[in-house]
Amino acid sequence: MSFLDGVRYRLGVWLHPTRHARQIEREMRLHLEMDAAQREHDAPDEVTHADAWFAAKRQFGNVTYLQEEARRMTANVWLDTIERDLRFAARSMRRAPGFTIAVVVTLALGIGANAAMFSLVDRLLFRPPALLTSPNRVHHIYTAQTVRGNEAIGSYGPYARYADFAKSTTSFDLTTGVAQEDLAVGIGDASREMHIGIVSASFFKFFDAPPALGRYFGADEDTPPNGSAVAVASYARWQTEYGGSRAVLGTKVQIGSVLYTIIGVTPPDFAGIWSSQPPAYYVPITTYGAAEAAANSSPSEHWWTTYHWYWMETMARTRPGVSDARTNADLTQAFIRSIQAERGGTKEISQERPRAFVGSILSERGPNASGFAKVATWVGGVALVVLLIACANVANLLFARALRRRREIAVRLALGVSRARLLSQLLTESVLLAIFGGIVGILVAQWSSIGLRAAFLPKDAEISVWRDERTILFAGIAALVTGLLIGVAPVVQARRADLTGDLKAGAREGTHQRSRLRIGLLVMQGALSVILLVGAGLFVRSLNQVRNIRLGYDVGPVLIVHLNMRGVQLDSVYQVALRQRLLQAALTTRSVVNASFQTGIPFWSTWSVGLSVPGIGAVGRLGRFDVNAVSPGYFGTLGTRILRGRGILGTDLEHSPLVMVVSEKMGSTLWPGEDPIGKCVRLGVLDTIPCRTVVGIAEDIKSHQLSNEPDMYYYLPATQFNPNQTGLFVRVRGDAATDADAVRRSLQREMPAPSYVTTTPLSQVIGGETRSWKLGASMFSAFGLLALVLAAIGLYSVIAYNVAQRTHEIGVRVALGARAGDVLRLVILDGVRLSIVGVGAGGVIAFLAAPRLAPLLFQESARDPAVYAIVAITLVAVSVAASWLPAYRASRIEPTRALRHE
Amino acid sequence: MPRDDSSGAGRGPLGAGTLEMLILKSLGAASMHGYGIAQHIQRLSRDVLSVEQGSLYPALERLQAKGWLKSKWGPTPTGRQARYYTITASGRTQLGEKRAEYDRLALAVARVMRA
Repeated sequence: MSFLDGVRYRLGVWLHPTRHARQIEREMRLHLEMDAAQREHDAPDEVTHADAWFAAKRQFGNVTYLQEEARRMTANVWLDTIERDLRFAARSMRRAPGFTIAVVVTLALGIGANAAMFSLVDRLLFRPPALLTSPNRVHHIYTAQTVRGNEAIGSYGPYARYADFAKSTTSFDLTTGVAQEDLAVGIGDASREMHIGIVSASFFKFFDAPPALGRYFGADEDTPPNGSAVAVASYARWQTEYGGSRAVLGTKVQIGSVLYTIIGVTPPDFAGIWSSQPPAYYVPITTYGAAEAAANSSPSEHWWTTYHWYWMETMARTRPGVSDARTNADLTQAFIRSIQAERGGTKEISQERPRAFVGSILSERGPNASGFAKVATWVGGVALVVLLIACANVANLLFARALRRRREIAVRLALGVSRARLLSQLLTESVLLAIFGGIVGILVAQWSSIGLRAAFLPKDAEISVWRDERTILFAGIAALVTGLLIGVAPVVQARRADLTGDLKAGAREGTHQRSRLRIGLLVMQGALSVILLVGAGLFVRSLNQVRNIRLGYDVGPVLIVHLNMRGVQLDSVYQVALRQRLLQAALTTRSVVNASFQTGIPFWSTWSVGLSVPGIGAVGRLGRFDVNAVSPGYFGTLGTRILRGRGILGTDLEHSPLVMVVSEKMGSTLWPGEDPIGKCVRLGVLDTIPCRTVVGIAEDIKSHQLSNEPDMYYYLPATQFNPNQTGLFVRVRGDAATDADAVRRSLQREMPAPSYVTTTPLSQVIGGETRSWKLGASMFSAFGLLALVLAAIGLYSVIAYNVAQRTHEIGVRVALGARAGDVLRLVILDGVRLSIVGVGAGGVIAFLAAPRLAPLLFQESARDPAVYAIVAITLVAVSVAASWLPAYRASRIEPTRALRHE
Repeated sequence: MPRDDSSGAGRGPLGAGTLEMLILKSLGAASMHGYGIAQHIQRLSRDVLSVEQGSLYPALERLQAKGWLKSKWGPTPTGRQARYYTITASGRTQLGEKRAEYDRLALAVARVMRA
């Protein structure tokens, strides 16, 4: 700490130099006075006052010299130099405000884009959860099984699997079950959906995070069958909802269907493993599991021993020193034993090649990472390219200015300023510009991250740039590197300064010379913007392809109505009646066109039941068949067409003949070349189950993935299949999002007290599927356009500068008979030539990089010639536009004036 | 006039390193103002080390810049404001090192002179 003490002292001296000098002076005077007084006191008879003073001074030494000497001891040579350079830089920035603003804004856009993307990608991919101890040893557990030749990797599983892993592995010193859910917190109209962390008691042991208040729940409160209804509030929730009062402990809070008692509060920075979407509360996984099981599954099964309900993930910490390979072998053994336990140890499982392994705790880095994180990483790279372009632009501007300041530099060199001092001054200037750019850039990032979050992340997600020191640090480093990068140009220029030549050149600027460096920067800008625009084009086309896919249903006008019964125990007769009332209420709501029951939502919740069809052995081998139980309005509500036969009718009642409608793909898969109508399908594997007759064929729909292959789907009358398990689809006249709340309110009136409905636009579900292409299309386009604009400005400034330099030459040409059109062409061709070189270079790079982008695109070749052609034409057109104004000015040069200028 | 150049460097009659060591030692027991330090050194050395008391002040500045001393303005017994110096933890470490080095040197010199 002594070093810091000293630095602090020096800094204080540097900040208040006069105060420091006064202190030393005062101190020395005091010394002299004390000494003189002492001498007088020691020998009052021998010395006069003046004698004593003189003797004291003689022994003290040269006061002025010693004062100076004392000040010199704390002199801060480098601090003083930096200060002088900063003042100089600030002065020269003030002298050219237009230039300064242009540079700062350009850099701010570049740095801001990078900071915003960094904060997103960092959270998705790089940052271990806050307060996690030994993050290198903490993993998610993944399992894989091979079915029909495809290995399916998953991290979700039943509680029983988690228990098996915890019990029969030896590689871990800590295991925990985790789930996350958006649940309604509070009661009635005051309830709001919040993100809830559902965790085992051991979860908190993964973190170095003692509770801010109260305690965490223990293992005894987290055991099947029911756990205890205790909850831990997040620090943020404690502050906002309970005003940070200690009285929060013991308070009851309704979360989902359970009334929990709050027993603790997490520390401020704790967000579990969900750093971008911090939970509001943490509840025991067994309590939640028991409540969900009570609401959903058959009571004969124990939810904690069943293997059918996939709803939670397992997190584990490897013992120190155990290799991943050993851990994985251990896990795989445990997984095999678990499957044998699940199946009673009889069936052969080796052909499924089951294996289990550890993967990153960050789900976006695991084997099931979404395309979103990959696209976000690409966009991060794109942001870096934009920053490079911005740097090239600013370097060009600074370079042009350095050319104009050649005489000034020459004079100062002649006056004996060392080159090193000159360089440090120039670099200080560019770094100062970059730091201003960085500060404004953080504002840009904050502002754009709000947009990013709204467009691409869950609703509770939090990305604040200026409260995130990693992002601020990143922006700071980016600014510093940028400053040094853009400082290179003037420095190179200053190093080359030819003293006598520049001094002789007098007031006139240096002779016209094409600078290879400037041209190089310009071509680089062109090439980089080509690359970005190609990427933008590819993503835009992907997104268009995705949007143009025929899903087999309409998305825009459809609302999903979800009934949250919240533990209200209702008998099934009442449930059926309630749903009928809700359906009626929906149909009588203004703006509602049609409504239907549903038990399945594409991409969100899909059901399948084992089928058997006479004449076909092992139907399951043909693929997955999803079922939806619907009411007569269904096909009209969703806009799915009935191709042949009929849909579900009002006459298909509980005791009327059993019917089903199959999708076209399902029909052709089960009965190739035959007419499916009239065929028999049994729901289940026993022959004693009655036949359901196929009465209609519906258009294919996409329910699992957006690809050319439709999924197989069939529809049953809700009256004949689980009628008390349905939600609703509602079709409104306009856009579903705008009417969502009106529909919710009119349905809510029918709901019994603590239960409630939520209405979600179907577009939100489908939107989740397309968000990676949306991210790619919008961000590549935004950055591509930004790059194009920057490149255009760069081209413009260089051409304009060249024209100014060539005034004399052009004057001579005109004097010799060149016409305005010739001059125009001469200048514009200059710009076009540059842009063509840039297009060529950028095109080649994009073409070579294309295969790496290909997996992220949707039904779009990464080497789509149309995209390349459009980008090339755009860039050339922009270069014509950018060079037109300087060219026009050149064409108006009057030879007499240009030559007289000499 | 007596001279002490045992530490070699320094422009004052008292070597810079030695002066620093004496200041640190003086402050080891209690905080003092500049004049007090000078008096202390003079008294304990029986007036042998008393030249150019002013060179004390550059040394005090240097010791603060190194972080070995801290200073604070406070009243003297006569009610005037003086700057009081206190030794820091790292100053104490330095004192120990300097003292060990000095002891070694003094012993070596003594051995040679006695031979």
